[in-house]
Amino acid sequence: MLVSTRKAILSAGLLVLCLASCAQDEKKSHYRIVSLSPAMTEILFSIGAGDKIVGVTTFCDFPEETRNITKVGDFSHPSIERIIGLKPDLVIVNLPEQSRVKRELEKMNVRTFVSSPASLSELYSELSALGAELGLQKTADSLVSYIKDNLQAEVSSEPKRVYVEISPRPLVTIGSATFLNDLIHMAGGVNIFADLDKDYPVVGQEAVITRDPDIIIVLHPEDITGRTGWQNVRAIKDGRVRTDLDPDHLMRPGPRLVRGFKQLKAAIND
Amino acid sequence: MTALETKEICFSYDARRVIDNVSLAVESKEFLGIIGPNGAGKSTLLRLMCGILEPESGHVALFGQSLAGQTPRLIAQQVAFVPQETHFALNFTVEDIVLMGRYPYQRPFGRDKAEDIEATDQAINAAGIVDLRKRPVNSLSSGERQRVVLARAIAQTPRILLLDEPTSHLDLLHQYRIMELLSNLNARGLTVAVVHHDLNLASLYCRRLVVMHHGKVHCQGTPGQLLTEKILNEVYGTEVRIIRHPDKDVPQVFLHTEGQHEDRQ
Amino acid sequence: MTKTALIIIIFLAAIAAGILVGPAPLESQILQLRIWRVVLGVFAGGVLAFCGCLLQGLFGNPLVEPYTLGSASGAALGASVGILIFGAINPALAFLGSLGVGFFVYVVARIEGGILRDRLILAGVVMSFLCSSLVMIIMVMGGRELYEVLYLLMGYLGTIIDATNRTMIIALIVVSLVLAALLYRFHRELDIISQGTETAASLGINIQRFSLILFFSSALLVGMTVSIVGAIGFVGLIVPHVSRLLFGPKHRFNLAASFILGATFLLFADMLSRTITVYELPVGVVTSLVGVPFFIYLYRK
Repeated sequence: MLVSTRKAILSAGLLVLCLASCAQDEKKSHYRIVSLSPAMTEILFSIGAGDKIVGVTTFCDFPEETRNITKVGDFSHPSIERIIGLKPDLVIVNLPEQSRVKRELEKMNVRTFVSSPASLSELYSELSALGAELGLQKTADSLVSYIKDNLQAEVSSEPKRVYVEISPRPLVTIGSATFLNDLIHMAGGVNIFADLDKDYPVVGQEAVITRDPDIIIVLHPEDITGRTGWQNVRAIKDGRVRTDLDPDHLMRPGPRLVRGFKQLKAAIND
Repeated sequence: MTALETKEICFSYDARRVIDNVSLAVESKEFLGIIGPNGAGKSTLLRLMCGILEPESGHVALFGQSLAGQTPRLIAQQVAFVPQETHFALNFTVEDIVLMGRYPYQRPFGRDKAEDIEATDQAINAAGIVDLRKRPVNSLSSGERQRVVLARAIAQTPRILLLDEPTSHLDLLHQYRIMELLSNLNARGLTVAVVHHDLNLASLYCRRLVVMHHGKVHCQGTPGQLLTEKILNEVYGTEVRIIRHPDKDVPQVFLHTEGQHEDRQ
Repeated sequence: MTKTALIIIIFLAAIAAGILVGPAPLESQILQLRIWRVVLGVFAGGVLAFCGCLLQGLFGNPLVEPYTLGSASGAALGASVGILIFGAINPALAFLGSLGVGFFVYVVARIEGGILRDRLILAGVVMSFLCSSLVMIIMVMGGRELYEVLYLLMGYLGTIIDATNRTMIIALIVVSLVLAALLYRFHRELDIISQGTETAASLGINIQRFSLILFFSSALLVGMTVSIVGAIGFVGLIVPHVSRLLFGPKHRFNLAASFILGATFLLFADMLSRTITVYELPVGVVTSLVGVPFFIYLYRK
C-alpha cells in the first residue's frame, strides 16, 4: 500500500516536472530526435522529450504515442536514408548492434548519442548525459533517482538459483552480460548461467537440468512443464515456473525496469 | 510369322517429323538390317519398335499384340535393345551388368534366383567374356564393353534383339566377333534387327535389308536387290561402285572417287 | 562381410557414445534426453544419407543431394514461415515447402512426354537459392525468432521433447522409416538406371513414373526430417560416397549402408556439437566442419 502510494506521488511528480520542462525549453521544441533504441524511446518520453521524437524503430512499441511516429526500420536494420530524410538534430544509437549505422551517420555529420548500458551505473550516467544534451537535466536526474530508489538490492544469504528462458528452440537464456542478470542478483537470486560471459547464449537441456534451478522464468508463451527429462528439476517439481513476467519490463533498461524489478523480486522471494 | 510390326507410325522431335508413316514387318527368326543415311530415322525407328519411344500415331505390334497395351516389363521379356554406346556412371563388374538383364523377370525385394544366375552364366559364355566376368566394366575397352552389353541383352532371353549400330567405333576383330555372335544367336532362333552404317557388314550378315530415307521406308529386299549403284545414289546422294565379296556372293560397296559431282564443284 | 561387421560395430559405438558422452553426468533424466537425441540422430542421419544415395543413383550425378534438389531448402522455408506465423515449427508447412518446391522444380523441368533430368537439377539449385533468400527475409523480419530459424537452417538434435510434439515426432519417424523401407525395393532399378535412361527403359523400367515416385518420396522424407531436426547439410552428400567407396556401386548394399553410415556420422557430429563448447552448436556446423576435410582426404587417398 505504502509502496504504491509512493509510486503514485513519484509519477505525479515526474509528470509535473515533465510539463514544466516542456514549457521551459520552448526554444528547443523544434529539436528533432530519431531514437533507434526502444529503451531510450521510453526514457525520452518519461523525461518529457517525447514530442521531439520524429523517428523510431518498429521495436519501439512503448508508450502508446510511439505508434504515430515514423518508423525507420527495425532494431538491427534501420534505414539510413529514412533517418536522414527526417533531418534529425540527434540520433540515438545502440551499440554494439548499430555501430554500422553510427559510422554512416557520422560520415554525414549527423550528431549521434550512444546508448550501450551494461550495468545500472552506466545507465544512470547515460541518462544524465542525455538530460544535459537535451537541456532536460532536472527531469533526467529525477528519473535516475526514481530508478535508484526503487532498485534496491536485496541481501540474501542463500540466493535462489534462477533460470531465465527466452526462447525454447533452441534454449536461449541470459548470460552475465545482461541487465537482467544484475536484476536477478539484486532481487536476491542468482542466474544459473551467470558464468557465461555473453548476453544471450544458446544452452543445452542437459546444462539446465544439471544446474537444477529453483525458479524458472519463462519469457515466451510455450508451456515448459511437460518436457521429457525435466521432471526432476526442482523448479518444476516445486511448481515454481513463472510465466507472467513481461520481458519488456525486464530487458529494456528504461523506466519500466522498476516495475519489472518488483515482479522479479516477487517471483524470487514469494 | 511376324515378330514385330509397325503400322503407319509417325514420330516427331519438336516440330521435325523423323518417322513418317512407317509400316514395317520384322519376320520371326530373320536377320534384318536397317540402313540409310544419317538422320533417316533408323535409330528412332528402333526405339519405337521396343517401346522406349511411343509413336504419335499408328501402333507397334509384338507378335500381334499392341505394345501400348503391355507393361514395359512384359515387353522387356520379349524384346532386348542394345544402344550404340553405354555410359557406365557406376563401375559395376561385368557379371553385375549382365545379371541386370534379368530385371524383367525379377520381383521387388526378391533375391536372384537360380534361373537368373544360370541365364547370366550362359550369356557370359555366349558372348565370350568369361575371362572378363569379375572385371569392373570401366576398365574394359569399348569392344569388350559392347560385348558386355550384348551379354546383358542375351541374359534377358528375348525373342527379338534390336541393336543400334553395334559395331561402330570397333576395330575389325571386334566387328567380326560381334557380327558372328549375332549370326549364331540368329541361327539358334533369335530374331535380330540391326541398324547399320556399315553397308558391307550389313550385306555380309543380314538376309534382308530395309533402306530408310527421310523418315520413310525407301525400299526393302535382299542385299543383292538393294545394294545397287542406283538406289545408293538416290539415298546417299553419292556415287558408288559395287563388286561381289570374294568369299560370299553378296554385294560390297565402295566409294566412286572419280567423277564425284560435289567434289568437282 | 568384415566391412559390414565393422560399420555395425562403429554404429553401435556411435550409439554408445551418443548416450554416454555429454556435458552432464549421466543420471536418469539426462539418460532420457540422450536416448531421444540418439533416436533423432539415427533417424535424421539415416534418412538424409539414404535420400542422398537414392537421388545420386536416380540422377546418375554424385553432386545431387536433398539440398541440390531444393527440397531441404523448401522444407526450411516452410518451417520458417511456420515459426513466423505460429511461433513454432509446423511440420505440415515443412512438407508443404518441400513438396511445393519439389513440384515447382518438376514443372520447370517438365517437357512434353517427360522430364529433363538435367534441367531438374538446375531448377533445384536455383530454387534452393530462392528459398534461402526468402528465409533471409523471414530472419530479418522476425527478430526474436532469429535463433530458431538459424538452428533450423543448420539443424539441431537437442530439441525439446514434450507432450505437444512427442507423438508427432514418433509418428513422423515411423512413417519415414516405413517409407524408406518401401523405397529400398528400388535398389535394382537404381543399379540399372546408372547405365542411362534408354537402357533402363529397354529393360522394362517406367522411367517417368519411377523418377516421379523417387523424387517426391525423397522430398517427403526430407520434409519430415527437416520439420523435426532442421536442415542438416552434408550428410546426404558425402555419406553415399563413403558407402560406395566401401561397398562398391550396388544399391542393395549402398542404400542400407548409407543409412547406417549417415546415422553414425550424425551421432558423432552431434556428440561433438554438444561437447566442444559450453554452448550448444547447431549440428550442421559440425557436419560440414568434420565432413569437408574427411571428404577431401577420402578423395585424395
